[in-house]
Amino acid sequence: MASEIVGGAALAPPTAIGVRRGARLRQLAPFLPAAVIIVGLFLVPLALMFAFSFWSTDENLDVIPVWTLENYQNFFTNPTYVRTLFKTMVIGTGVTIVCLAVAFAVAYFLARYVSRQWARIALLVIIVPFWTSYLLRVYSWQAILGERGALNQVLVGLGIIDEPSLLFVYNDFGTFIVLVYLYIPFAALVLYASLERFDFTQLTAAQDLGASPIRAFRHVLLPQIRPGLITACIFVFIPILGEFLTPSMVGGAQGLLIANLLANFFKNALIPEGAAVGFLIAAFVTVLLIVFRRYLRIEDVVVRG
Amino acid sequence: MTGAGTAPAIELINVTKRYGEAVALDRVSLQIESGEFFCLLGPSGCGKTTTLNLIGGFIPLTSGELRIEGQRVNDLPPHQRDVNTVFQNYALFPHMSVADNVAFGLRMESLPDDEIGRRVGEYLELVGLSEYRDRYPGQLSGGQAQRVALARALAKRPTVLLLDEPLGALDLKLRKQMQVELARIHRQVGTTFVFVTHDQEEALSMATRIAVMAGGHVRQIGTPREIYLGPVDRFVADFIGESNFLDGRVASNGQGPAFQLSNGTVVPIPTEPDGTQNGRVALMIRPESVGVGRGAPGGMTPNVVIDGRATNVAFMGNHTRITVQTDAGILVALRFHGESDEQAVEEEMLDQEVHVWWDPRESTVVTADDLRGSEEELRGGPEG
Ligand SMILES: Nc1ncnc2c1ncn2[C@@H]1O[C@H](COP(=O)(O)OP(=O)(O)OP(=O)(O)O)[C@@H](O)[C@H]1O
Ligand SMILES: [Mg+2]
Repeated sequence: MASEIVGGAALAPPTAIGVRRGARLRQLAPFLPAAVIIVGLFLVPLALMFAFSFWSTDENLDVIPVWTLENYQNFFTNPTYVRTLFKTMVIGTGVTIVCLAVAFAVAYFLARYVSRQWARIALLVIIVPFWTSYLLRVYSWQAILGERGALNQVLVGLGIIDEPSLLFVYNDFGTFIVLVYLYIPFAALVLYASLERFDFTQLTAAQDLGASPIRAFRHVLLPQIRPGLITACIFVFIPILGEFLTPSMVGGAQGLLIANLLANFFKNALIPEGAAVGFLIAAFVTVLLIVFRRYLRIEDVVVRG
Repeated sequence: MTGAGTAPAIELINVTKRYGEAVALDRVSLQIESGEFFCLLGPSGCGKTTTLNLIGGFIPLTSGELRIEGQRVNDLPPHQRDVNTVFQNYALFPHMSVADNVAFGLRMESLPDDEIGRRVGEYLELVGLSEYRDRYPGQLSGGQAQRVALARALAKRPTVLLLDEPLGALDLKLRKQMQVELARIHRQVGTTFVFVTHDQEEALSMATRIAVMAGGHVRQIGTPREIYLGPVDRFVADFIGESNFLDGRVASNGQGPAFQLSNGTVVPIPTEPDGTQNGRVALMIRPESVGVGRGAPGGMTPNVVIDGRATNVAFMGNHTRITVQTDAGILVALRFHGESDEQAVEEEMLDQEVHVWWDPRESTVVTADDLRGSEEELRGGPEG
């Protein structure tokens, strides 16, 4: 878009410099709102946060602009913080894998064996719960997983366990289950969108050419839906790094994730410490996105284009 | 490529395929010899694709037996069959270059890299796409994509190549070109081709043998000539080219086999019907075998002549089509231009009393019952 406009300007007949500069500015005008939003709402706050993360607080908990690396040092020397970060990664990865596996199975079935119309309806059914409040859904899970919850009642009723178990909620298991539930729809939507465009006779053709079903899947289907898979990973994994409601509601005292740590810092007015954690997460996500982008190979662009 | 002696490349023995209650193929038996260009021809829904999918192994048989080079392969998965397919929509892999598409099947065989490279070059050359090896399928025309699909399947050097209406998506001109091209490639590689089409002209021009199918049955198997000149029933005659049908019954005129037309005229026929044409019958004469004129026919042949009235004369470019109403039925005659013919003569015929005639040797008695007549007898072996 931009290059077209510049190209157009180059073709324009030569005029006085001042007039051309005016024309230039007028051409750039449409980009102004976007520039204001990006700079004012994203870059400046990020820079502020970055600066804060190197400052300290005085005894009144007021932030004072004294440059120090202490906030980062404190984070990495506190085993609890590091363990929380590590646990967040593990749970995030696990949830992403389970989400993608379940969502893939659902999306594959819908895209391959169900008519488009019914597939749309099925997807709608998967999404409808998300029009209800997030809190409501997490409270419901508390009720399902709790001591007198539906799960325990069913298991006791079936005689699988003798008495209600306390292992389903207020621990990492509870967090895991609820996060999987919360993020499956995003993954399912993204994967369905990329599978819907896939021509499944290609799998038949691959088998016809001597590929076993597994190799056909790996060499033909997987490369073509890679962009969808990566997008789904991003949609699931990155928000989990910011999840603090679910862990605090069903994760119990031990089930806190990195975002809870962040929230606690700010609650206790430890703004520089919080900013440091926030910046670490942001940096991590950036690195992650760069790595993911490298996997979006040139073929994907060709397939899509 | 195993030397299985004289076993047919493909053999279907009483093969039935049901989808739930619906019968897609009903006790079909046929043999396809090695090196043939075999056409499965029939109207939409008659079971052509089903037959191909059974041979390719993409769907299971309900009953019966399928043999490839004499080996029973009923339960062999597709990737273990020595058979490759050119799909109707080509099913090229859009994320791979043309060369990688062709190489795919060879890589699955774990052939050495230099052998793969050689074969990819060889088969791209065969289909005339050597310069396109680095393109992606999205950058090819329909005809080129078609050739890539062909090269990809042939590079595996299969015993049998299956083609499901491979020319269906091409426009008429490209289609004609590809027909010639396919015939050349078939001669060059010598592989058995099994070709599905619902275009009778395509089948006639390319096939060594044709199986005419209808409603899950094989109606007739034979060379294009056999089927065109000696169709077993009215359905086949009608499906393969245009035909005149005159109702009547088999009779005798004391001098040999004869047929009594609906107006009472008894005309000679070439051979006594062999008894399979029970039920209602009709006399079939191809339009190009019908002569028409205001005077009597010339020549020495003992022609059958009946009178009628030309109700329509249509100029068709290289020929003229004359429709004649007789009291035995309607007959269409074709007159090819050239020689000393003058089309003005034909135009004069319109609404005139004319004679029509044909050589009895070019007429055939066929079963007139449409479809599902007496399938048991109609299902022939390779000799039809
Ligand atoms: N998966 C299926 N489920 C149910 N019925 C099917 C299925 N596939 C095919 N059929 C039926 O089997 C019959 C034969 O189908 P087939 O695809 O072999 O026809 P065809 O001769 O290839 O026709 P066309 O020229 O239209 O491609 C049809 O009546 C069809 O409706
Ligand atoms: Mg078909």
